[in-house]
Amino acid sequence: MNERQTALSVENLYKKFGTLEVLKGISVSAQQGDVISILGASGSGKSTLLRCINFLETPDSGTITVCGDTVSMIQRRGKSVPRDIKQVERVRTKLAMVFQQFNLWSHMTILENVIEAPIHVLKVPRKEATAKAEAYLQKVGIHEKCHAYPSHLSGGQQQRAAIARALAMEPEVMLFDEPTSALDPELVGEVLQVIKDLAEEGRTMMVVTHEMGFAREVSSRVIYLHQGQIEEDGPPRQVFESPRSERFKQFIMAMI
Amino acid sequence: MDFSIILENIGIYFEGLRTTLILVSTSLLLGLMIAIPLAVLRTSKNYLIQAPIRAFVYFFRGTPLLVQMFIIYYGFGQFEAIKASFVWFFFKEAWFCALFAFTLNTAAYTTEIIRGSIEATPHGEVEAARAAGMSRLLMLRRIVLPSAFRRALPQYSNEIIFMLHGSSLASVITIVDITGAARIINSRFYSPYEAFLTAAAFYMTLTFITVFLLKKLEGRWFAHLRPQTTSNAPKKV
Repeated sequence: MNERQTALSVENLYKKFGTLEVLKGISVSAQQGDVISILGASGSGKSTLLRCINFLETPDSGTITVCGDTVSMIQRRGKSVPRDIKQVERVRTKLAMVFQQFNLWSHMTILENVIEAPIHVLKVPRKEATAKAEAYLQKVGIHEKCHAYPSHLSGGQQQRAAIARALAMEPEVMLFDEPTSALDPELVGEVLQVIKDLAEEGRTMMVVTHEMGFAREVSSRVIYLHQGQIEEDGPPRQVFESPRSERFKQFIMAMI
Repeated sequence: MDFSIILENIGIYFEGLRTTLILVSTSLLLGLMIAIPLAVLRTSKNYLIQAPIRAFVYFFRGTPLLVQMFIIYYGFGQFEAIKASFVWFFFKEAWFCALFAFTLNTAAYTTEIIRGSIEATPHGEVEAARAAGMSRLLMLRRIVLPSAFRRALPQYSNEIIFMLHGSSLASVITIVDITGAARIINSRFYSPYEAFLTAAAFYMTLTFITVFLLKKLEGRWFAHLRPQTTSNAPKKV
């Protein structure tokens, strides 16, 4: 039925921190063009899920497949680790991540931040990388700041720069980890608008967010996590209007 | 007070200046080259890698530079094995012994300075580098070290000045550096005041130039920390 390709698939993901089970068997897949919003109370494991997908955290078990490339894991001293770190690095280039705290490299200008990984990881010629970076900075609306340093920008501008940096990798899937949570309320809108524009372009995205309006309007699918499990999963219209889970109902009520 | 004897013998001071400059810059350069890999390895979680570096740093920070120099200059000659081997070709020279001691001494201090600033790298920036698919080595080269060097610069500036002043100890083992020149003049004319004041003036001038150059470098490297005004807005790169 579905002719779009699977961009990302997560199967049966488990993750424990010490004795605390954070993810208890999460399976989720994204087709190309999907915009999946991940909702959940704090501590529900939503950020951990995102961080496991690009191996910033190593899952205890489960498989992650990005564009047909399944990261193979082995057991070492009782711990699950990727068999080949090169494979993980390759997979990461297809999964650009935007962080809550922006995490721009502070000693580089905005333009340098954006061209850094394309030049040194993807081996794109500098000229080409710079031209693309300028186009992406234009797109997120901060081209005039391209020679400024991150600390000279507002939070909203920094986050837009971080989005441009992610775009410059030309990723298959973009991961957003609470992209607006560290922003002053009046700056949230400008960042959400950029993410919305990207969604409309048909980019595949996974967004951990607390912005209900955004989840409802922009995403093609909403997932609600509770205590490391998926409680609710479906198109926004369905989950917001007739949620099956009582907990999710309460969650929405509390958020609105 | 008679500074004419200084002016008549200023050549000796310039000889000494040359020796000081070569000795200090060579040991700083070699010391830095040793310190960078050591600092990186020192941050390793593997105890077998960490422990020898700790021991090295502990020894050279735990003992005075003069004692280190004496051990190398006077002490090594006591061992027949060293005297018989080819290394004696180097260690019989006072100049080499001083260079050797200075290099290891500054390497130890610099290792600690750089290690500290590597460990202070903002965690988020490291995560962003990993998330962009950088390998460990690339991340070290492009993100961690450039960022650490900037943080280390103020402390390292101090280390440079300490080394410059510490180098005066070389005069104790017959080397004619700036202090050595002053000692020659003093013993020749019995005028310690003029002789050592001149040496002091040389050191002060060198320190002043060093501080000035480091300030310039700081201005360039810390552009990202400066408050932004129209007068010092970041220039095009």
